[in-house]
Amino acid sequence: MAMTRTISLAIESRPECIELLGGAVNGLCGLTALPPADVAQIELAVVEAVNNAVEHAYHGEPGHAVLVEFRLSPEAFSVSVRDRGDPMDPLQLTAPVAAVKPDRADPETWPLRGRGLSIIKSCMDSVEYHVGDGQNTLTMRRTLKGSRPA
Amino acid sequence: MVVTHRTVEGIDVIALSGRLMMADVAQVRQRLLDVVEKGGGKLALDLAEVGFMDSSGLSVLVSVFKAARLKNGEVVLLRPNPTVRSLIELTRLQQIFSIFDEEATALARLR
Repeated sequence: MAMTRTISLAIESRPECIELLGGAVNGLCGLTALPPADVAQIELAVVEAVNNAVEHAYHGEPGHAVLVEFRLSPEAFSVSVRDRGDPMDPLQLTAPVAAVKPDRADPETWPLRGRGLSIIKSCMDSVEYHVGDGQNTLTMRRTLKGSRPA
Repeated sequence: MVVTHRTVEGIDVIALSGRLMMADVAQVRQRLLDVVEKGGGKLALDLAEVGFMDSSGLSVLVSVFKAARLKNGEVVLLRPNPTVRSLIELTRLQQIFSIFDEEATALARLR
């Protein structure tokens, strides 16, 4: 009987540890029929979510835990990234994707930062953010059956 | 992340190899900015051997682009793999970066 399977990993809030998650994403996605391009998108979304936890929730301070929970069901691959740092403004999640269109003639449209959330939203089918009990949780989901919603 | 630098007729050509993620960006950014500062501001960035890049890696590309433009220069990208190209297009940065499959064509653009 098909059921949801879960695996949790914890990394320290250091940039050097984030790369370790790439192998986990690729290994787990190998259990699905997702094509390589889709797996790459999921890996990118997970890395961006953990980047945000390290850089914004913990302000680059090492020694904290970032928990990453992967859930694989016949219908979807879901990933939750949890931290206990400063929460994100939930309104950031509802901001339009890629609001700034880069223009070669206008340096104001060449920001160095601020692309992570829009990348996550573009790569996954749904993204939710929850703050409670001192823990911030970003949960993202990728549908496995059929085509992605437009 | 391995950074290899050479000069072709006054144009800097830098090849990156590995995964360009948050852990590497400070070092790579400084290396590339040093090249732009010491050179003529014309840079071809070969991404053929970059297997993965995140938004912090993109920030390195944008930093170098800004620095080059301050010298009236230009940065072009060479041979990004499909994953990296997809990220560039997702963030619409192909609007500011010209992307080439052949080094000779990229160098011709920069001359």
